[in-house]
Amino acid sequence: MDLRLEGITHSYDGLLALDGIDLEVRDGETVAIIGPSGCGKSTLLGIVGGLLKPSAGRVLAIGAPRADSLNPFTYVFQDFALLPWRNVAANVALALEHHGLSRAERRERVAAALALTGLGEFAAALPKQLSGGMRQRVGIARALVVRPAVLLLDEPLSALDAQTRELLMEDLLAIWARERSTRLYVTHNLDEAARLADRVIVLSRRPGRIREIVRIDMPVAERGAPTALPVVAGVREKLWALIRDEARDAEREVQHG
Amino acid sequence: MRIRLVAALAALVTFGPALTAGAQEKVSIAALRFVSSAPIFIAMEKGYFKEQGLDVEFKFFDAAQPIAVAVAAGNADLGITGLTGGFYNLAGKGAMKIIASQSREEPGYDFVAYVASKKAYDAGFKDPGKFPGKTIGITQVGSTFHYMLGMLAEKRGFKLTEVTLKPLQSIANVTAALKGEQVDGVLLPANNAYAVEKDGAGKIIGWVHQETPWQLGALFAGTGVIEERRPVVEKFVAAYVKACADYADAFLQRDAAGKRTFGSKADALIPIIQKYVEPKPSAEQVKASASYIDPKGRLLVKNIHEQVAWYQAQGMVARDVDAAKILDLSFVKDHLDVPKR
Amino acid sequence: MADAAPVTFRGGGFHPRPQRLVPVAVFVAVIGLWQFASWRGWLPALFLPSPWEIVTALGGMISDGSLGRHVGASLMRIALGWVLGTAAGLAIGLAMGIFSVARAAGLPVVSALFPIPKIALLPLFILWFGIGEPSKVATIGFGVFFPTVIAAYTACDSVPRNLIRMAQSFGLPPAAIVWKILVPGAMPGILAGFRITASIALILVVAAEMIGAQYGIGAFILSAGNLNQIDHLLAGVTLLSLLGLAVSAVLGAVERAVLRWR
Repeated sequence: MDLRLEGITHSYDGLLALDGIDLEVRDGETVAIIGPSGCGKSTLLGIVGGLLKPSAGRVLAIGAPRADSLNPFTYVFQDFALLPWRNVAANVALALEHHGLSRAERRERVAAALALTGLGEFAAALPKQLSGGMRQRVGIARALVVRPAVLLLDEPLSALDAQTRELLMEDLLAIWARERSTRLYVTHNLDEAARLADRVIVLSRRPGRIREIVRIDMPVAERGAPTALPVVAGVREKLWALIRDEARDAEREVQHG
Repeated sequence: MRIRLVAALAALVTFGPALTAGAQEKVSIAALRFVSSAPIFIAMEKGYFKEQGLDVEFKFFDAAQPIAVAVAAGNADLGITGLTGGFYNLAGKGAMKIIASQSREEPGYDFVAYVASKKAYDAGFKDPGKFPGKTIGITQVGSTFHYMLGMLAEKRGFKLTEVTLKPLQSIANVTAALKGEQVDGVLLPANNAYAVEKDGAGKIIGWVHQETPWQLGALFAGTGVIEERRPVVEKFVAAYVKACADYADAFLQRDAAGKRTFGSKADALIPIIQKYVEPKPSAEQVKASASYIDPKGRLLVKNIHEQVAWYQAQGMVARDVDAAKILDLSFVKDHLDVPKR
Repeated sequence: MADAAPVTFRGGGFHPRPQRLVPVAVFVAVIGLWQFASWRGWLPALFLPSPWEIVTALGGMISDGSLGRHVGASLMRIALGWVLGTAAGLAIGLAMGIFSVARAAGLPVVSALFPIPKIALLPLFILWFGIGEPSKVATIGFGVFFPTVIAAYTACDSVPRNLIRMAQSFGLPPAAIVWKILVPGAMPGILAGFRITASIALILVVAAEMIGAQYGIGAFILSAGNLNQIDHLLAGVTLLSLLGLAVSAVLGAVERAVLRWR
């Protein structure tokens, strides 16, 4: 499913956060959105998935989602947003319960999603018993179980330590190689953008406008190899050069209130 | 003796009560501001205590319960009020002894009435024999009202458990419950019973004295006071009995037909009573509330034994309480109905 | 390196650890001392009976069957009043937690009525409901109702908003969001409220039984007071304390079962 964003503008309490965002995302593409703190990247993601109403502009979905998609626009959250009173399987099943599936079909879908994310043996565990990385795997499994057309990832790895982040990046790439979807990936981490995205949208500081779109030609599957290091580092340098000054301004603003 | 008395009276006239008090023996009595406390009011106002060389202090309470506690705890030397289960439990531990009578239910003298609610009366509750199956409001568990119902049950041959008792804590609550038709009947002192009947909220269906005459109230003293200050107690009782005689002369007269009459002697005492009783009663209310008090302060001794036995049978008074040990019959002569040992 | 000196330990302490024996020992020591003082006659027997006399009074209540009658009557009133007050309180409290209009309408009323001691309303309830069971149950019910409302709606507020956003992002219908997110998420706060309302119910049952109750622990304590049976009175107080402990144990078990996920 293709996506078209037309003139997305949003303001909070009279403060302009996003200003005229136009963007096309092709089916199956991974688009990362980066920018300095407060550039409105999470707001943009909220608008795309219908959780926030834009002050102006619209989001168009072009083409029908696959037939078995129960929830075409599906999020993965930074803080996982798991229900602490449900075990892993029940947390994943939450996304299915209101769709009138048979019990067997529900169980089968949950089992498949857990297997895909390597959670098979943790089905009965409670979230409090899991590490951060495992919790986010539950969040990812819950997103996959509804077979989304567009996956909206809001800083999905930001709450995790560096090693876990590496592991999950590999897992995400493996999953995306098998599950077809369109992906919008918001992050403040330039490595993640350089490793995972086909294109990187760089937003300017408030109000958020598209400052530059960086295309990365190397296929994502090849970027993990040692020989790819210079390429990835180059992309990272380029992105950093684009946002560095604004990031500093943003930081000062935060510090001085 | 006479010389001392004359000197004391002279001092009283000359210097006023404040100075003479020092020469007199101090003694305190805990009491209710009820008409039934009349003898101590009369003894005070007519100077009978002073004649005995006593400087009496009244300590007023608003219920029988704290009076017994005050005497048992030594906060008052003597007490005068109704005899309750609570009293017997304290007295049974040796804290105090009954020495003379106060009110009693005596045939011909209305004091406590059985009152039916309007609705229950219309439905046939017109006789004290009809208590079984009824819901009856009383003040407290172990109160004189509770005992009066127990005696009625024995006399009329029903079980007290056939009556549903509602302890409501105060006469005011009992009256309100009757007016609100929340109970079928209540026991009320004459004054309150007349008021309820006048309102049309209830009907007097009988009087306790018609069914079960008994010794309702008594004068009692702390055991320590009796042991250590016996002469003071004797003097107090002498003044008290003298006032009882005055009271009987004024309020307990009956004509040839048995009807109570109140003459000039009553009129003379009524202001004394009105001075102490609260809320201040009218002359008519004083007469209506004037219970029978033995003119010589004599107790119905056997009935006190019966009371203790009844409370014990109900589990309200400890088994080891011995009625004989809570009575000191030496202060008043010729007590009535003394059981033979 | 010239002189080698071991570093002195300076951590530790300030970390309360459970001591199983100390509470029991304190309890036994206090009771023992009390019994000893009574036995030596240091305490006035008229106003403070010995622990043994209290135990004897309790034993007497068990053997004559009055214990069951009193405890049964009180438990009945507590159970009925608590269940009614809690059911109504949860309904209103959750409504106030979910709907802005319900909160705007309910909050001033609850704020105005909550601080009123329900004991002060007992005479009013007697006028409305009579001196029988309904006024007693109503007193307990009203006493339980308001804290439950407040516990329920503040517990709703404490449910993380991101969970609700998550549920919306998966297209859960509003009713499912209430039952699957809001209610379970509010459970810790609601159960904490239960602890408070259970003790309120215990306090109020004693007050309610002071008027027109033939049986019940409160009625028993009051009549023991009227009869100056101090040993019975303290036996009744002991019963109340045991009842409180039992209720607390039950609630603790419920909390452990329901809030296993915490």
